[in-house]
Amino acid sequence: MLVLITGGSGSGKSEYAEQTVLQLGATPRLYIATMYPFDGECHLRIFRHRKMRAQKGFETLECYTGLKHADVTGYGTVLLECMSNLTANELYQEGGAKKQCVEEILEGIYKIKNQCEHLVIVTNEIFSDGMEYDRETRQYQRYLAMINQKLASMADAVVEVVYSVPLVHKGETDISPVIKRESEGV
Amino acid sequence: MILVTGGCFQGKTRYACETFGIGENEAIDGRICPLEELYRAKLLYHFHEYIRRMMKGGQDLSIENSMERLKQENPGIILVTNELGYGIVPVDRFDREYREKTGRVCCRIAKEASQVHRVVCGIGTVIKDG
Repeated sequence: MLVLITGGSGSGKSEYAEQTVLQLGATPRLYIATMYPFDGECHLRIFRHRKMRAQKGFETLECYTGLKHADVTGYGTVLLECMSNLTANELYQEGGAKKQCVEEILEGIYKIKNQCEHLVIVTNEIFSDGMEYDRETRQYQRYLAMINQKLASMADAVVEVVYSVPLVHKGETDISPVIKRESEGV
Repeated sequence: MILVTGGCFQGKTRYACETFGIGENEAIDGRICPLEELYRAKLLYHFHEYIRRMMKGGQDLSIENSMERLKQENPGIILVTNELGYGIVPVDRFDREYREKTGRVCCRIAKEASQVHRVVCGIGTVIKDG
């Protein structure tokens, strides 16, 4: 099963994605981390996510570019987080796929989807704040939007998370776990 | 507690006042009200601006305590907030922290809330009930 989870920054989509993975059940679980730790703020975010994942039984694979070279054979459920980082890495990092990023990333997705039982992908809504960005940034938005649309068309379920509340845009609602009312570090 | 969210200029406050039978003169503006009003107001709008003011005043660490106090003292409040976080990561550090903090606080309120409404073009949809 392929599940696409989207939402704004700070919307609780990661927590929801992890609950979805737990509900899907199939083990072992692999977390594909895409955030390149280039400064202290990234380290803090990564630390926060690691803390959230602790005790949930994930192995971690760091993948900043070149998803198609990842091998996830033997994993039950794979959680890839987050598509906005992966796309930015491919576009801006040295050795990234640049203008080929959409094709390269989708090739990686097709491959890992076939290697595991369930794939949960977290992406990001970066399209609606009404700001006019420079050309390069608009190109980045366009690439991510193309990837999101393609993933949504392939996905069995698409869920948008609004301040921790899941809105199901595609698929059966019963795969969407009700997030427990456990308090989260604010 | 009830949370009403959505983009800016979507008619969220008017929707909330109509839906919950609150006079617009009873609605408290989080952008300018005394911070203590949060614990008395029936409805507080511009809640994201209230959070920004707390952060600007160096009180961001106490926001969590404020939420705890709010739960105790004014559990029936209706909070109206812009839905932030649907754009590119801001260049300015404070802006990044503000949008992140607003998200985390609103996630927490949404989990506590009996209802969450989302307003688009003046039309509200109940996205959480119970």
